Amino acid sequence: MTAAKDFSILSGSYALHALGPEERAEFEQHLRESALQETEQTRNEVTELSDTAVLLGLAIAPVTPSPALKVGIMAKLSSTPQLPPGSVSSNQSADATSRRPLDDAAPGPAERKARAAWFLRPVTALACAAAAVALIIGGGVIVNNVSVDSFEQAQADQLAAISAADDAQRRVSPIEGGGTATLVWSNELGTSALVVAGIASLPADRSYQLWYIDAGDGVARPAGIFSTAATGVGSRVLDGSMGAGDAVGLTVEPAGGSATPSTSPIVVIESA
Amino acid sequence: MPESVPGESDVSENFQDSSPTSRQQRLLERVSIGDQAAFSELYDEVSPRVFGLVKRLLVDHSQSEEVTQEIFLEIWQSASRFDPNKGGASTWILTMAHRRAVDRVRASQSSRDRDIRIGIRDRDSEYDHVSESVEVKFEHERVERAMERLTELQRQAITLSYYGGYTNSEVSEMLSVPIGTIKTRIRDGMIRLRDELDVTS
Repeated sequence: MTAAKDFSILSGSYALHALGPEERAEFEQHLRESALQETEQTRNEVTELSDTAVLLGLAIAPVTPSPALKVGIMAKLSSTPQLPPGSVSSNQSADATSRRPLDDAAPGPAERKARAAWFLRPVTALACAAAAVALIIGGGVIVNNVSVDSFEQAQADQLAAISAADDAQRRVSPIEGGGTATLVWSNELGTSALVVAGIASLPADRSYQLWYIDAGDGVARPAGIFSTAATGVGSRVLDGSMGAGDAVGLTVEPAGGSATPSTSPIVVIESA
Repeated sequence: MPESVPGESDVSENFQDSSPTSRQQRLLERVSIGDQAAFSELYDEVSPRVFGLVKRLLVDHSQSEEVTQEIFLEIWQSASRFDPNKGGASTWILTMAHRRAVDRVRASQSSRDRDIRIGIRDRDSEYDHVSESVEVKFEHERVERAMERLTELQRQAITLSYYGGYTNSEVSEMLSVPIGTIKTRIRDGMIRLRDELDVTS
């Protein structure tokens, strides 16, 4: 560590999230690694100033978001993996801020007790095992064997946009062979997404394929391949644009998809 | 993987938390093991706070909803990382929310450039936001009073940083004050606020 630099003056800016990325990383490293007595003081100061910053936030008038936002978020939960407790990764959560610096501090009796109870609840241990599928290593989040890449990010962003639209609607329908499908759509945006849960997994030579079925002439337009996890959950924003009243269908096709449906759909949901 | 389980032996008794602020904490605890009903309840409780904060920084409605969605999915994902010894649930959530909102503000650089030009004009009213509920009004007045105890430069720098999402160097540019001075003033000002607002760890 560069003992010469005085990091303590950064505490306030750090608490306000006002440091640039490099300086922030440097400061966090300092807080993690420095064994100097004065660094201990800086850690405490960072925690207190972060709590102070929260009070600045509490002085802002609350604004209730649209109900559609909640619908969209709730729909994503089952396909969003949860982190197991305890492992350290520097870039995946909010506690890169005020929470971590004190982790090395000697805990008092009350803290030890609470901490022990927190980490060792048996139910949590079970959840850990389940969440092991969603393994977190070095900040890379691996979800159901598919890494979170730009496609997934774009999908997530679009789904958020649909859910956030003023005219967002949803309709749920059972899937033939098991599971449920939820169509979320916005006529204003002319787009939709299908969220499924409990759907059967397919052999490697088959894919689920989405279709827009035109409200006027009943013609099915291919709208994307839908891959689901082994857990049978998944979501997909459909390719192409949706006309008002179009239906969305899901079929089983040869891997890679077809130009026109080769089987009858296992679910069809009409937008209204 | 969970490797940092502390080596404490006396862990058999259940964690009985009876403090009045522990409700959200218990909700978070349930969220961490995949309880969607608890998440729904927590969302109803804290989303107006989160959305109000995000909207303050981002202004744009749909961007604010997007970021709010990111924040709640992060809460869902990392609820297990919440450590009740390091502060309350709402502190954890609002800190995360502010961080996320700031990240988004900085991601759109072109609008930032515009903001820097108009930001000066609005800086004194940044935290001056009328609110309806008594609780919020109380918090607001408390913060406002504490803010009045700061020097002009401290107040401006903190306001621009927290409510505007500006970096040290942007604030330095906006106020035509050297960046080292900005850092010092922000720290001094935050320490003053901490003392005025009675924040102790």
